[in-house]
Amino acid sequence: MIRWRALFTGLTLLACLALLTGLLPQRAARAAEPQPKTPIKHVIVLMQENHSFDNYFGTYPGADGIPEGVCMPVDPADPGGECIEPFHIGNRPIEDLDHSTATALNQYNGGKMDGFVWALRLRNQEGTIAMGYYDGRDLPYYWNLVDRYVLFDRFFSSAMGGSVWNHMYWVAAQPGSEENRIPPEGYGDDVITIFDRLEERGISWKFYIQNYDPTLTFRTMGQGGPRAAQVVWCPLLNFPRFIDNPDLFSHIVPLDEYFTDLENGTLPSVAYIVPSGASEHPPGSIRAGQRFVKSLIQALMRSDAWYRSAFMVTYDDWGGWYDHVPPPKVDDYGYGFRVPAFLVSPYAKRGYIDHTELDFTSILKFIEENWGLKPLAERDARANSISNAFDFSQPPRPPSFIPEERASDEERPGPRRGVIYTAYGMGLFLAGSVIGWAAVDSRRRRGTDPVYPLRRLTRRRKRMMPRRSRGASDR
Amino acid sequence: MRLDTETRRRVGSGRSLSTALPWIAAHPWPRRALVAVGAAATVDRLVLALALVAGAALRLWQINRFGLNSDEAVYLGQAAAIAGDPILSQFFPIFRAHPLLFQFILALAFPIGGTDGSDLVGRLISVTVGLATVYLAYRAGTRLYGRRVGAIAALFLALMPYHVVVTRQILLDGPMTLGATLSLYLVARFAATERPVWLYAAGAGMGLTFLAKETGIILLGSIYAFLALAPEIRFRLRDLALSTAIMALVIAPFPLSIMLASGGGSQRAHQYLVWQLFRRPNHEWTFYPSTVPLAIGPLLILTALLGLWLARRRWSWQEKLLIAWIAVPMLFFQSWPTKGFQYLLPIAPPLAILAAQAVTQLGQRATASKIWRAGWLAPLLAGAIALTLLIPSWTQIQTSASERFLAGSGGVPGGREAGEWIRENTPEGARFMTVGPSMANIIQFYGHRQGKGLSVSPNPLHRNPTYEPILNPDLQLRSGELQYVVWDSFSAGRSPFFSEKLLSYARRYHGRVVHTESIPVVAPDGSVVQKPVIVIYEVRP
Repeated sequence: MIRWRALFTGLTLLACLALLTGLLPQRAARAAEPQPKTPIKHVIVLMQENHSFDNYFGTYPGADGIPEGVCMPVDPADPGGECIEPFHIGNRPIEDLDHSTATALNQYNGGKMDGFVWALRLRNQEGTIAMGYYDGRDLPYYWNLVDRYVLFDRFFSSAMGGSVWNHMYWVAAQPGSEENRIPPEGYGDDVITIFDRLEERGISWKFYIQNYDPTLTFRTMGQGGPRAAQVVWCPLLNFPRFIDNPDLFSHIVPLDEYFTDLENGTLPSVAYIVPSGASEHPPGSIRAGQRFVKSLIQALMRSDAWYRSAFMVTYDDWGGWYDHVPPPKVDDYGYGFRVPAFLVSPYAKRGYIDHTELDFTSILKFIEENWGLKPLAERDARANSISNAFDFSQPPRPPSFIPEERASDEERPGPRRGVIYTAYGMGLFLAGSVIGWAAVDSRRRRGTDPVYPLRRLTRRRKRMMPRRSRGASDR
Repeated sequence: MRLDTETRRRVGSGRSLSTALPWIAAHPWPRRALVAVGAAATVDRLVLALALVAGAALRLWQINRFGLNSDEAVYLGQAAAIAGDPILSQFFPIFRAHPLLFQFILALAFPIGGTDGSDLVGRLISVTVGLATVYLAYRAGTRLYGRRVGAIAALFLALMPYHVVVTRQILLDGPMTLGATLSLYLVARFAATERPVWLYAAGAGMGLTFLAKETGIILLGSIYAFLALAPEIRFRLRDLALSTAIMALVIAPFPLSIMLASGGGSQRAHQYLVWQLFRRPNHEWTFYPSTVPLAIGPLLILTALLGLWLARRRWSWQEKLLIAWIAVPMLFFQSWPTKGFQYLLPIAPPLAILAAQAVTQLGQRATASKIWRAGWLAPLLAGAIALTLLIPSWTQIQTSASERFLAGSGGVPGGREAGEWIRENTPEGARFMTVGPSMANIIQFYGHRQGKGLSVSPNPLHRNPTYEPILNPDLQLRSGELQYVVWDSFSAGRSPFFSEKLLSYARRYHGRVVHTESIPVVAPDGSVVQKPVIVIYEVRP
């Protein structure tokens, strides 16, 4: 008996142990990922290339767009001389406008914002095209998106310069180096990125790159040719600790995984995306860029992740294009000129234009607040969050594919249904009246004669003609 | 003394009999004959009641088991657009090809069922139209040959698979046949009385027939053929012209609404006319001979032919009218390149009357025969014909689904379920590529998403102008304008080429099956297996 009891006790303990070892780690793993403070469990951030706010949304109704009567002097030193008015670009050819720090400062011109053409002429570019803008005819998908979701019209690039600084602000809330270029030895461990914070807290993340080549990093970018842009656009490829640590490096993946992650329900909590050919970097096709963005948003909308997600689209710098709002000076690096930025989320306010002053670090701020992370640097600590664009008091909006065609402002009149009701009603009434008249007339002729049928029959028999064969008659 | 059918019909009327007793007493009519006439009238009424009850049962049995087919979806979609439904009016323009009388009636009833229940309500209205046609066949048969023929004709039509199947669906051919049978009845009354008012009424009836479906105008040829073939029917040209004018007035809502209501109807109507005139044949010339006689009932057709043979010596205006009512549409649709299963439905009531007349005639001859004295022959023959109609009707309305589909022959298994899945599980604004426009219509009706058929020709001469082609499927899939691909076995059976093409697109653009609708089918080994009939793929560039 004692042996049996011991055996039973042993087996029970073993079973408990098995349960503990089998279940607890899974529970622990699930519990390891902190729950966000808002319903947003997936933040997806896409950074496109090189357009100013006025270039894309300068004529968008209700936004802080191109002011009336603007005419950009060709030479700011000669205000009465030739000037260029903003114009619709349409199918005009465009070029890659210089967007170096020097050009940015010349265009800014000490806050006078009158050097947009002149600065480019200093770089041997004609410069007139900088005053061009696109509108809903050229950007139907983006304009349709912001009709339904949120457009930010005070969203500044973080640094008065080009891609390298701004991409660094995008992930690390700091420029990374004093010069707007990648240091030869890469960024050191003193530069903390949002992904370091996420990793510390066990929050899932991935960096998706279109046409990703994992052999191209800051160490090999000289051999990459045109594809070397991925090194600039994905700053993590400039961090030795990210590319030398296989675990961290495995988070940098081709964009195809974004689609499979959505299909498989494995989308990480934070996803950064950079394009390749569809970046809209002038003179690249803006239509191709829209289609690229559309494919990403549609895939999200088709997945279960939609109801818990926020998809943020922005542009790394102004690209040399005109923008009329002088960027506030917050430190030695920025802000830079305004860039287009919009948010798509089931919790986004509908058709809302957010005037909050924001920059790339505002996205970091939202991620940090959502998952309770420490700020990365002074810039993101001070930044406004994009949280004003959400309305969490409302139930999440169901997904809705946005058409690529822009509806005409002139509403086409629908068919006049009253005409159909009247016409067919009259037709029925007329037919009913004629048939009814025939029936009534027939009854009237028959009268109230009670023996009419037999009388009619007798009369008929008397005069029945053999050659005429007739059926029933009521005459 | 034997009373002829006319006497029985007249005296058999309860109202006349009750008020006529004093008159009868003063005249030497055999009382026994009158009692027999009354009993016969009761039998006829019972047969009519049986026809209506059985007809209703056949038409209502599991009526909404399967969702709408493409044509039903289009007509109900038009009705929804007329009723101002904000969702369906995005997908179904009011003006397509046909006049809108039936859609107008459906629109009046649309609020009863709303978007989700409108298919049931619409089909119930179709059933009502079908039963009204059965009753009118009774009236027309009675008018032509007496109450017994009318009752038997109503029974035949009520059980006829052709009429049962079509009037279970929201199709225009049911209402057109109602209008045609009404016109037949009114023409018969005119022929019997030669009173112009009935000719005017027949004009109004023809107008309604046209408003139900424009092909009903062909029966105008039947009327003129009848008047030409029956010189004993006297009429004045002035009355004929007035009758035609009344018909034109009743038809007027069709062109008037197109002209006045705007919405692109005028242009579309012109395009549709051009397309119909020059389109390629959609079926072989053997289509009608191979499908319609089986649906009408071979025994019924043989009996009708026998009846004509028996009536060859008499050859009265009644036979001429019925022959004209059958022959003209048959000849027209046989020679017209566009063929449809349900197009010949207006010939069903006159065929039923002819067959009923043959049964009655045979019965009378058998009863009168000194050798046979076979009073049982007529009921037996009528019962046999009714049975040969009932069995195929019952078979066709059973819920057993098929992976093949003949347009106009019923609902589409899985179509409603697929559409509802789409509505629940795909983003608003999603666009679907289907093998053909039929499944696209079903998706639009039930799924509230835009569908486009791959098989719709980019050549405007070779497509229905109401359908938009996919000009460059690769481009639209690559650019994300089409996000889903729907394959269905019904369209695949008709267009194997486009079925394979559609599947190749699904493979090329990372097609992932997100939903499947299956039906049970019997495998070669006798077991029942689920076979996919509709497969929805999610695609991406």
